[in-house]
Amino acid sequence: MDRNKISKWLKGPAKMGHKYSLSAIYFCTGCGIIEVPPVITARWDAERFGVIPVASPRQANLFLITGYVSLKTLKAIIRTYEQMPDPKYVVGFGSCPINGGMYWDSYNTIKHLDKYIPVDGWIAGCMPRPEAIFIGVTHLWTLIDKDMAKGYVKYREKYESYRKNQEQILGKLEWKPLYPIRRRK
Amino acid sequence: MIMIIEVVKIIVLPLIALIIGIFLMGLARMITARIHWRYGPPITQPLIDMVKFFDQRGISHGFIFDFGIILSLAGSIVLVLFIPFCKIAPLSNSGGLLVILYLMLITPLGIALSSGASGNPNASIGISRKFMLALGYEVPFILIILTIMKSYNSLSLIDIVNVQQAGTWSIISSLPLFLTGVAYFLILPAILGVRPFDMTTAPQEISSGPKVEYSGKYLALLSIEHALTLYIGLTLFVNLFLGGSANFILFFIKILIVFIIGLFINAVFPRFRIEQALKYLWGIPTLLALAGLILTMII
Repeated sequence: MDRNKISKWLKGPAKMGHKYSLSAIYFCTGCGIIEVPPVITARWDAERFGVIPVASPRQANLFLITGYVSLKTLKAIIRTYEQMPDPKYVVGFGSCPINGGMYWDSYNTIKHLDKYIPVDGWIAGCMPRPEAIFIGVTHLWTLIDKDMAKGYVKYREKYESYRKNQEQILGKLEWKPLYPIRRRK
Repeated sequence: MIMIIEVVKIIVLPLIALIIGIFLMGLARMITARIHWRYGPPITQPLIDMVKFFDQRGISHGFIFDFGIILSLAGSIVLVLFIPFCKIAPLSNSGGLLVILYLMLITPLGIALSSGASGNPNASIGISRKFMLALGYEVPFILIILTIMKSYNSLSLIDIVNVQQAGTWSIISSLPLFLTGVAYFLILPAILGVRPFDMTTAPQEISSGPKVEYSGKYLALLSIEHALTLYIGLTLFVNLFLGGSANFILFFIKILIVFIIGLFINAVFPRFRIEQALKYLWGIPTLLALAGLILTMII
């Protein structure tokens, strides 16, 4: 640990805690999940970056959207995202969540994921190599350091428009709004 | 003056236990990584996790949810005070082995109350497994404790440690105690809840069982409780069989050696199913403990 890091720890321990302890929720959202087992096991060992998979969204703070997002998966993704405790980061993995990728003209996949939940960073590619996840993680560290990974704040502030987009594509949602919706006059 | 020293001891001992427990958790992750031929996290990783958990927003599921986790943590802390650590043993004179036997049940009970209140089916499966496992290891554990009580004619841990300090370690002093010590070592992973017996918190089957609904600060309390559990299981073994120690460093080395041997088992073995665990626990360890008890009674 260098001296620079120690001063950062003293200044903001919580931020450094969020930075170096990312619990990724192990939730198969698409075909990209096939890249995750080599990343977390002995070959590429994500644990040395502090990234560890957890089984429950309640314990997670990093959500990897791996691959294409169909309508049914979107529903599960939104519910999982809303269950995660508050400083939470979303990373889109692969080109499908960015702009549809090879499913650009499909009738039941989502083209732009960031219309429905806020996304803090993207890893492009089809499929990205496991090393790309580590580059993504180090970029996320930089974003957290500079207070730029504020997707969860954005979700709280612009919840009405996100909810409107979600209802537009999924029809009526069967769960209550996470934040109170202010009615405009 | 003596009063003040006693109070200071009562405050300091859980802190020492916590530091040792967190150190052991970090060491466990590091050594497991090296056994898997990977680099592994830094040794401070559990501490970093804990800092993060304390800053996150925790989600409560009602009064019992909050109460149960505090109950289990209180149970662990009280249990720490009853087990002598080197010369520091604030409550060991008043309790003895019987109290330890009772208090060991409070921790799983508190977690059961707490996670039962969350209403998650995975949590209830985890709890039922935990209690079945407790049923499995309590039988040999009680036999072991009885053997020790009988052969030293004492209920007090301090007396037992003192006798061992004057003579030899109990695990090599006689055949029945050797059998008992081996039996205790065989059930130690079940008491600590590590790998061959981690069906309680299996992340792949029941999404980490009782702790599925914990988040933020609750998870931090839970990992503190886990650190204390590690400390309790290991110090009890060291005090009962490896003769305790008056020297802090020697005591710590003994804890470390027992823990690392357990860790090797943890790193290479797959998980038991619950009925396999019961079959194992009521098999060889119980027979060894029973043989030790009968031999002690005869001799």
